[in-house]
Amino acid sequence: MGLAMSYAAAPPPPPPTHSQTPVGLGVVLPPKTEEKVIKKVDFRNLPCPLPFEEIQREALMSLKPELFEGLRFDFTKGLNQKFSLSHSVFMGSMEVPSQSTDTIKVPTAHYEFGANFLDPKLMLVGRVLTDGRLNARVKCDLTDNLTLKVNAQLTNEPHFSQGMFNFDYKGSDFRTQFQIGNNAFYGGNYIQSVTPNLSLGGEVFWLGHQRKSGIGFAARYNTDKMVATGQVASTGVVALSYVQKVSEKVSFASDLMYNQMTRDVTASFGYDYILRQCRLRGKIDSNGVVSSFLEERLNMGVNFILSAEVDHRKKDYKFGFGMTVGE
Amino acid sequence: MASQNRRLPAKGRDEGILAKFSESQIVLRGRETAGEVAIVAKKLLRSTGRAAWIAGTTFLVLVVPLIIEMDREAQMNELELQQASLLGTPPPSLAPPPPK
Repeated sequence: MGLAMSYAAAPPPPPPTHSQTPVGLGVVLPPKTEEKVIKKVDFRNLPCPLPFEEIQREALMSLKPELFEGLRFDFTKGLNQKFSLSHSVFMGSMEVPSQSTDTIKVPTAHYEFGANFLDPKLMLVGRVLTDGRLNARVKCDLTDNLTLKVNAQLTNEPHFSQGMFNFDYKGSDFRTQFQIGNNAFYGGNYIQSVTPNLSLGGEVFWLGHQRKSGIGFAARYNTDKMVATGQVASTGVVALSYVQKVSEKVSFASDLMYNQMTRDVTASFGYDYILRQCRLRGKIDSNGVVSSFLEERLNMGVNFILSAEVDHRKKDYKFGFGMTVGE
Repeated sequence: MASQNRRLPAKGRDEGILAKFSESQIVLRGRETAGEVAIVAKKLLRSTGRAAWIAGTTFLVLVVPLIIEMDREAQMNELELQQASLLGTPPPSLAPPPPK
């Protein structure tokens, strides 16, 4: 959270008129404060780390946009300050998992209705799909430090419904979380800031019905210019990621995923440009998949989305377009 | 027609000079190598074609949108600069926050 807060607190990017002489502007704009003071590390006053499941947030944001195939239209209407309704239509094809290597696509279309209640203390989000799936999320601040999160997915097929309770406790320089899910899932994790830039964490989970347990460790190092994370779990997954912020608008991300069980390694490299009228994300990975995702702002609250994903090896091409109205 | 007529009886008697030449070792080897070269060239052409296709489509997906958007951004900056120099003050909030 420390990073997000510092980002939010940063002054809005000044209009790029640096080449001008600061005759008029220099008076209006606040003088650039250089906060490059070398300060001694106060180990009793470390920043609060990010939640354990979000330590790869920057890399995921840049490398994993919501790619889709077909048409989607999202409309959000705020009824008042806290309550809003959302409507979403999707038409396109869905991939069906199959044993053979070639993918099978089935044309689908669905409509999704959602209701959101957003309050600083309480957040309620519900989504209903026409095919009978229901998704509900609750986030509730019980005290200043303790947060309860509930996540439920209900389907009309048996054994596919899921429910999860998370209790998050946020300390001054650590975070811990306890999870209870259906199928006797229990998990817990803990993350601690070690220095102002480095945080280390660990997790334990137990799947009661499958009689499986696991343990994982994670580390995250971030400065204003870069974020590097590493994660190891006893399931045999190693994930490394690195994000370099070149400027306020441009960042480059790369990640490496290694799975000991299936012996497959995937590396990917992507860019993320946040310009004034658009956000563009592109990615290429070692499986020969090239993808890009463009969100273009047409008007206030109207965004146009283009999504492209080309898998050269499987000859699987996915292109999608959509609109997002209202925010 | 005429040459065929002349050669056909010749072939029966004592394999004419052309037939001798075409069945000689060098020509056979030459023909084989020519065939191999043709196959390799075909394969090479096909694989370079495929590589070019992959490179081209990758470029189309990854780089072309980037170029277009950078160009738009540069244009907008220029416009803003012009306006600023014309009006003397920076235009108010032409820079909305980027889409999340």
